[in-house]
Order: sequence, then structure tokens, then C-alpha cells
Amino acid sequence: MASLTLTRPPRARALISLVPMIDVMLILLVFFMVTSTYLNLDMIPAVRQQDQAQAPATESPSAATIMIRLGADGVPVIRGQVISDGDLETLLRQRLEQEPLTQVMVLPSGAAKTQGLITVLDVATRAGVVRLRVIRLQARP
Amino acid sequence: MKLTRRRQDPPSETIIALIDVVFFLLVFFMLIGRMDATAPFDVAPPIAQSGRDMPAGGATVAVSQDGALALDGIAMTRSALETALAAMLASDDGLRVRINAHRDAELRHVLPLVGWAEGIGVRDVVLVVTPTPEP
Repeated sequence: MASLTLTRPPRARALISLVPMIDVMLILLVFFMVTSTYLNLDMIPAVRQQDQAQAPATESPSAATIMIRLGADGVPVIRGQVISDGDLETLLRQRLEQEPLTQVMVLPSGAAKTQGLITVLDVATRAGVVRLRVIRLQARP
Repeated sequence: MKLTRRRQDPPSETIIALIDVVFFLLVFFMLIGRMDATAPFDVAPPIAQSGRDMPAGGATVAVSQDGALALDGIAMTRSALETALAAMLASDDGLRVRINAHRDAELRHVLPLVGWAEGIGVRDVVLVVTPTPEP
């Protein structure tokens, strides 16, 4: 007796819809683009562990020291003479050629702007100064 | 006899390319950006050409033009800031403190912070600068 076999055609696999994923990614993309502000930031070290550890060892009485005063107007002054940023860099380079361990100390006025101090530190760093300190006068308690 | 032409489905437009572009843009923005708390006031960092790359992590102290303070995006008084920073230092001995001061902030608002942080034992204090002025 002949038998009849019925075969069911294989059901096609259901496709996973990509539309929700695209929606989520677009929302994430728009979120990051709208809420983000991109800033190019660098840093200048003010206190470092190495500084504290090496501070006593780097005190060398024979090394030259240059004191830069920074007035409230942000203009650097050396020995009472106002000096421009370009001249300051030239002067520091000349001193460093004579004495590579020249120490530069900056005494800023409390009324000076932050940009003024950063400019002096920037000029000194560009000139190659490695021993750079900022002095802050503190009122006696 | 009437012959009817079988209706053709419109060709499905490939959206794979769109997904690729969106995905690459998403990954791009997620990778190049570093999530950081912004100060509750306007802070324009001073300009310096010799700054070094900013390391990640640590606490960010923002100083506004008139001396207002914020720690990691939350405005607070000087005493509250000192308390919070001391607590952070107690839990993390190698805490890095980033001072993001407005370029026009007077140094009497900034330098005491550096001295105070050094005094309580913070061994890594950096001043935030930018190599290019904001457009």
C-alpha cells in the first residue's frame, strides 16, 4: 500500500528588524553631538611629587637666580625694569647659556590676572628654564 | 483571456551604508571626547603654548573670573571645597587636582588654592591651559 508523505515547506526565518537599532544609534549620535563641547586643554604642573622630593637637593647657592615680579597689570618686571615677553625670553636664553641651572622665581601680585602668570611661565618654559618657582607672599597670621 | 502582470515589489533600498556611517560617527564622538563635568560658570582657560597633554582623572576645581569656585561642576564655597577635597584625598592618596581658572581671574583667588592643596598633601596639582584661544 502506497503511503502518502506530506512535507511542510521550511518556514522562512523571520528577519530581525534593524530599524530600532538605527533609531537608537541616531538618537545617541545626536545626543553626543548636541551635548558635547570640545575643548583643547593642556596643563602646566604647579605641584609635583618630584618637586617636593628634590626641593632640598636642588638648592644650589652657586646657581644664579632671576627674580621676576609680576605687577597687577600683568607686566613682568626685572630689577625695576619693565620687560616685554620677547625680551624676557631672550634674556632668559642668554642667562641659561651662561648658567644652565639658573633658577627663575616669579613673584606675582595677587591682583594680577592668571593669564599674566601663565604667560611668564610659558615664556620661561620656552626659553628652556627647568628651575622655575612661583613665590606667594602670605600674610602673617 | 486577460493576463495580469505580477506586481513587483519596489526594490528595498539598502540601509547598511547608513548604519555604517552612523555607527562610525557614533564611535568617533565617543572615542575622541572625554566626559568631564563642566563648570556652572564661564571659564576661559589661559593661553599657553608650552602646555603638556592633560592627563585624565582627578578632581577639577574651577575658578571663575570673580573668584567663584566649583568642584567637578558643582559650585561651592571655599570651606566646602576644602572639606570635599580633603575627603577625596583621604580616599585617594595620589589624587590629582586640576585647577581650571579663568584667564582673567585674579591670582589671589588661584594661588592660595595651590598652596592649600600642597599643604594638605596633594602631590599633583596642575593648572589648566589651552594652546589656542576659543573662536
